[in-house]
Parts: sequence; structure tokens; C-alpha cells
Amino acid sequence: MSDIISIRSVTKRYPGVVALSDVTLDIRKGELHSICGENGAGKSTLMKVLAGVITEYEGELRVRDEPFRFGGTRDAEDAGISIIHQELNLVEGLSAAANIFLGREIRKSFGLLDDAKMEQAAGQLLTELECNVAPSQSAGSMRVGDQQLVEIAKALSLETDILIMDEPTSALTDAEVERLYRVIDKLRGRGVTILYISHKMNEIFRLSDRVTVLRDGRLIETVDREKTSPREITHLMVGREIEETKIGDGRSAGDVVLEVDGLSLPWPGHARQWRLQDVNFSLRRGEIVGIAGLMGAGRTELLECLFGASDDPPQGRIVLEGRDVRFRHPSEAQAAGVAMVTEDRKRFGLFSHMSVGENITICNLEDVATQGVVSGRREAEMAAGVVDQLSVKTAGIGEPVTSLSGGNQQKTIIGRWLLTEPKVLLLDDPTRGVDVGAKAELYQLMDKLCNDGLGILVTSSELPELLTLCDRILVLCEGRLTAELSRSEATEQKIMEAATLTGEVA
Amino acid sequence: MGFTAKYRNEIGLVVAIMAVILFTLIFDQAYIDLPGLNIKTILQQTALLGVFSLGAAIVIIAGGIDLSSGSVIVFSGSICTLVMLACSPVSYPSGPNNPGTAEMVDLGWSAVMLAIGVSVLVGLLIGTLHTWLITVIKLPPFVATLASLVGLRSLAKVLNPAFTEAMGLERITTLNATSIRFGILSEWWVSVVVFLVLSLACYVLMNHTVWGRHIYALGGNEEAARLSGIRTDRMKWAAYSIGAVTASIAGVLYVAKVGSVNPANMGVGYELNAIAAAVVGGCSLRGGLGLIPGVMLGVLFLRVVIDSINKVVDRGSDDFQGMIVGFLVVLAVAVNEYRRQGAGQRLAFFPGMLGVLMAIILGVLIGAVVFVASSLTYGVIVGGVVFVLVNAARFAQRDTGS
Repeated sequence: MSDIISIRSVTKRYPGVVALSDVTLDIRKGELHSICGENGAGKSTLMKVLAGVITEYEGELRVRDEPFRFGGTRDAEDAGISIIHQELNLVEGLSAAANIFLGREIRKSFGLLDDAKMEQAAGQLLTELECNVAPSQSAGSMRVGDQQLVEIAKALSLETDILIMDEPTSALTDAEVERLYRVIDKLRGRGVTILYISHKMNEIFRLSDRVTVLRDGRLIETVDREKTSPREITHLMVGREIEETKIGDGRSAGDVVLEVDGLSLPWPGHARQWRLQDVNFSLRRGEIVGIAGLMGAGRTELLECLFGASDDPPQGRIVLEGRDVRFRHPSEAQAAGVAMVTEDRKRFGLFSHMSVGENITICNLEDVATQGVVSGRREAEMAAGVVDQLSVKTAGIGEPVTSLSGGNQQKTIIGRWLLTEPKVLLLDDPTRGVDVGAKAELYQLMDKLCNDGLGILVTSSELPELLTLCDRILVLCEGRLTAELSRSEATEQKIMEAATLTGEVA
Repeated sequence: MGFTAKYRNEIGLVVAIMAVILFTLIFDQAYIDLPGLNIKTILQQTALLGVFSLGAAIVIIAGGIDLSSGSVIVFSGSICTLVMLACSPVSYPSGPNNPGTAEMVDLGWSAVMLAIGVSVLVGLLIGTLHTWLITVIKLPPFVATLASLVGLRSLAKVLNPAFTEAMGLERITTLNATSIRFGILSEWWVSVVVFLVLSLACYVLMNHTVWGRHIYALGGNEEAARLSGIRTDRMKWAAYSIGAVTASIAGVLYVAKVGSVNPANMGVGYELNAIAAAVVGGCSLRGGLGLIPGVMLGVLFLRVVIDSINKVVDRGSDDFQGMIVGFLVVLAVAVNEYRRQGAGQRLAFFPGMLGVLMAIILGVLIGAVVFVASSLTYGVIVGGVVFVLVNAARFAQRDTGS
């Protein structure tokens, strides 16, 4: 009876992926229960099931010993469950009070809004949370930390007794983090049960009663905080037996092709100030260097800086083949011999209205054009050449690119960039959404390109992948380079430790 | 992809155009009595609308929208006429201190060409202005071109009298463009030739050049285009410039056809007709989709339907145009959206309270249209029938449990 939530054999499948596999977990009333795991371990999916964001799943969910199947977040809120998302969910143009009472506005006669009453109630809640913003201030003009407290105030006004917090400190300053800890203590004093998602060990060990570790959609273990250590938790998070299929042992790196010196990328208006701060490394010809790091550590931002695609210009030096470069647009990077395969194929890579061939040739049409007029025959030859070279499985270059599997779509995009004859290839999480067999093919392709003399910089949220592929691994944590590990010294444990190293290093 | 799959939309339009012509032939004698005149009229109107619909379509394919065409037409038309006036001999009827009148009847070809050239240049500048507002000032295309829509017409209104005064003439807002050589542009075949040449140029541009492909890429996925090293800002410049230049060319042709330019009423609402033609022709307002042959057929379809309704209804003539355009745009976009997301699943068209209100709204709306087109009795009957049908549809959808 002391269990406020019982999750029974919950499984969530997406096409081709099992995001949660037979998870069974009990949450005790009034406890602070941390859920940790690597990116993609299933933390967020589990929380979305609890908060009514995901409504289609297998298994059973019991709240206060009653079976529930939420049809939406509204149902979950009625059951007393609120979620504070990592990406905050406020209407920026509305005031704090209006946000807190959104959808449940207090009204006076004739149905008119009773702003005075709402602002008074909101003011009380905010004061209680040590939040010094006026209830009438618009949410968009607040700092992230205050916005988060407004969301918490909203949850409190809903009489929430189960609060889910998804990586709440990721965008906060140290002072704001301390304030959040005090707020959490206060909430627990009121008997609120808190589910806390994080992979920062210092937070987990400061706050939790119990810790649950998820990995690959499975629940690995639930342990009492007193009976465990950060080392054990990281080990559980990483845990899996690594298939020793290291490829490319016989690589020999050539001369330095890319050198980065004191690279920083400002983050205007954010508590952290820097998306990237003083990053130094070099990349040689015929070498694959991996970039590890958690979500938001700055992996993508680093590649974007090197490709001239960052929103703000980076500071520091980027030296390509001995020459200082400063790309203001990806086309300049392309001309200089840098290619980038972006993460999230659908949003940043594919032209889904176009055919396989058109997707391959888009960067290199000039090569098959005379006075700007494209020769259809030469374009087809170029596309067919790439399809052959990378063995893209397609019924023909005229097929819509959306008809291909994820792995073949990815090959299409890599092929697009190989045509630009790059010296440096940047790959941002290239195997995401790609099935296992295709992954192996992509690994072999990368190895081959590397042996052909390309310098490759690759990011991945899957550590075993980096360990398999890379000659060296750089670890980013909150925009700073916290470790550089050679192939022989790199282990998942070491990488995770460096990637979760927060607050402790200056 | 086979021919029929790629040109499904175009084949559909050809069939629809033939169906509408057949319909008109059955209900009206005009096509049979005066085939030549009717064909010329429809072709010229198609060509005039078509010229700037091409530009509107390219902007839409690039993922933007150009609302300014109607005003660019009148502005460029005004500039064209002003240049011709400036080249004309001025006669002062009663002494040098009185305002004179300009005679442009005998303008040479060089003056006419200069006027056209300046108009096209003005179009290019307007397109460049739009590009700057959109790419540098970061205005949404809707806002940037809406500002032009409102602003340029107003500018033409004040510019015309100010210019004519500066030339030593009286202050004139509605300018006459009566030069004989310029008047040749009003021949039906001139518009048609210009339209066909521009269509061919746009077809080659969009289907066979690097720029064209990059414009499709920009419209289909702007971020991916930028990350593929495409200079997306330059492509936008190309698209908005083509949009404004084609409107300028249309402006010149309209002035020639009308014989004068009145900033108050020339080209009002034309931008929406062009957007409608592009959408009916298969362009998606989300960008990245649409073919030039489709746009050409879209324009023809729009004009044939308008002409048919004018012939069959026999009264109100041009007043029906807005309704037809509005209806066709809703239909074209709705069909596209339905195809895109509704494949296979039955949708409830009249849910809940909205459905109740729609029964009334559609009944009254369609009844009113039938009333103005024929008689009050028919209007009431048809309106009633529509009301009953929508309610029947509401109950039918409730039974299927959706």
C-alpha cells in the first residue's frame, strides 16, 4: 500500500525499436526516486507513459492501487501526476499567472478572467518556491530557472502529489540548482513523490532515496542510495558486454589535417554562457576520432562550428591543412574540403520530395552542368556511381528517397558528401535509427574511407560504437573537453565518468 | 517514376479543363457561335494571369509566398507609362506657364523598349527589396510582401501626379498609355507569346538547371539545403526576383491592354489569383513541390472555369470570379491535404457543434449563390437540400463511430 505507483510489465514498441521492454517498477509514496541511464535507455519513454504523453503501450499502470490508462496528460494531471519537461512548456507571451492557470482560468461573473485573483494565487505559490518574479511578468522574459519554477508552481496548483522532473538542472546556474534543491526539499516536506531523471551522479546521490537504472529499454536494477556508489551506478548504466569487434586496428594516421585551438561558441542569454568552451584537439589523415558526450554536451555544436553552420560565429582558431579557416556558410566549408552528415536525417539531411538520385547529386550539380544547365545523363551517371560504390539498396535512382531504409538513406547522404571529395568528414550520430546489419556496413564504410586517407570525426550516443570505430575518443561535458582517450585506454566506464563530470572541474 | 505518376496532377487538370469546356458547350452557344473570338479572349486572359502566376509559383516552390503581385503590376505599369511620358513631346496649349499635355502617340521603338526595360528593372529591385526584408531583417515572407502589396499601390498613387507635375504637365493619377507602337503589346498573341516564352524559360530553369534544383531543395527542406552548402539566401533572391519581375512584365502587358493605368483599381486582388493558379496547378504551400506545366494548366483551368461561369450564369459576370477562385483554392488544398494525411482513413467532416453550424453555413452559402445565379425559389430549395444533406452526413458519421 505504500507504493503510490506500480508499473507492471510495461512495454513500448516503435516500428523497429523496443523503447521499453517489460519494465516493472514500484514507486513508494513520498520518496525521491531517481531514474538514470544513457541516452536512449528509455527514461523519457517511461516518464511519458506515466505522464499520459504516450497512450499506446502494453502492460499495466496502477496509481494508488487503482489501475489507470491515461488518454492524455489531462488524465494524468487528474490522477495527481505532473511532469516538468526538459524543454519547458510555457506560453512565452503569457504571464506567469496565466501560464500557471492555463486551461483552468479563474473567472468572475460573465466569464471574464479574474486576473487579480489568479495573480494573487500565483504570487503565493511563487513566493513559496523562492521565485522572485512578478506573477504578471511574461514567461518569455524570465530566466530558465524561473520558468522552471513557474512550471513547478503550475504543478502545485494542480494539487500534484507525484512530480516527474526530466533533467531539471541541465540549464541552470549553480545558484539556481541550489534553489531547486531547496524547493525539492520543501515539496518532499509536503509529501510529494518525486521521480527524478538525471545522469549526474552528484545530484542523484544528494537527492535520492532510491535509484533505478535503465539500459536499452530494460530495467536493470533498483537500489537504495545508501547501499550503492556512483561507480556502481555508472557501471550499471553502461554494463553491457561489449562485442569485441574492433575494426581498423591496422590504421596508420598521416599528418594533421584539422586542428582546433581554443574553440568557443557563445550561448547568449543562457546560464552556461558557452555552448562550447576552449576546445582543443587535432585530427589526422586516416584517423577516426569519436566525440562522446551526453545530450546537450555540445557534440553537434562542435561539428557545426567546424562546418560553418553554427548560428553564432565561434571564437578561437580552426586550422585546415595548415591554413586558418573561418567558414561563414556551409558552402565555404564544402569548398574547402569539409563535409558534414547531419544528425536527424529527416529534418536536416533528406529532401523527402526528391528522388534517390537527386538527393545524391544535390551538392555537386555544378560538376555535371554546363553554364548552369544540368545534363540529365551525366547526373544519372554520377548518382548511379555512388549507388554502386556504397551499395545503396534501391530499385533505381529515380525512386523516392523515402522508399529507402534508414541505413540506405544514410548511405545516400554520405554518398552526397563523398562526391564533394572532402578531406575531413564530420558524421553526427550517423547510425541513429539504423538497424544492426546496416550499422555494421556503415562501420566498414567509415573504415574504408579512413584508409583512403580521410580524416573522420564522428559523434554517437552509443558508446560501444565509438569504442569499435575510433582511434581516439574526445569526451565533452557541458561544452568542455573533459577527456581525450586513446583506443587502448578508452572504456565505457571512463567515458561515462568524464561525461558526467559536472561542477567538480573548474 | 513513370510519366502518369509524375504528371498525375497535370493529367487530371487536362481532363478537368476538357470537362469544363464540354459543360460550357452544352449550356451555352457562345463557343460555337464565335469560336475564334472566345479562344483569343481566353488565351489572352490565361497568358496575362499566367505570366505572373509563374513567378508566384516559383516563390511558393521555394517555400515562400509573394502577396505583392497585384501592386507590383500597377506600380511597374505606372513606371512604364511615366517613362514613355518622359520620352514624349510635350505641347503647351496656352503658354509655357500653363500645364501641358504629353503626346505619346508617335513614340519610337527605343522609347517603348526603354520603358519596358525600366519596368523590368523596377521589378528586379522590388524582388531584391523583398529578399533583403526576408533574409536580413528576418521578416516572414507574408509580412514583407504584404507591406509591398499595400505600400506600392499607394506609392503609385502619389508618384504619378508628382512625376507628371515635375515634367511640367498637369497632375495626373490615371495615366493614359496611348502610343501606337506600345499598343501592339495589347494584341492577344503578344501576351500568349510572352507567356509561352516565359513558361519555357521557367520550365528549363526549374527542371534543368542547378538553380532550379536548389530552389526545390530550399522549399523542400530549408535547413537541409543550407547544410548541403546551398546558398539559400541567393536562391530566395532568385525566387522573389522572378516573382516581382514576372509581375512587372504582366504590368506592362496589362497597361497596353487597358490603354491606361489607374493605381486605384488596376490589378486589385490579382496576387491571390496567381497563388490560386499555382496551388490548383499542384504547388504545395509547404514548398518544394510543383511543376511548371502544372502551373500553366492551373492558370488555364482557372480562366476556363471563370469564363464558363460567366457564360452560363449570364449575369454578374466578373463578380463571380472571386467566389470561383476561393472555392477552387479551398478544393485544391483540401484534396492535397486529404491525399497527404488521410490516405485510407475516413475522416469525419462535420464533427460536433462545428458540424451543426456548418450545416447552416453551407446551406445559406450555397443557397445564396444559387439565388443570385438563378432565382430565389431555386436558392431556397438548394439551400434546404444542402442543409439536409450535411445533417445526413453528420448522422452517417456518428453511426460509423468516428
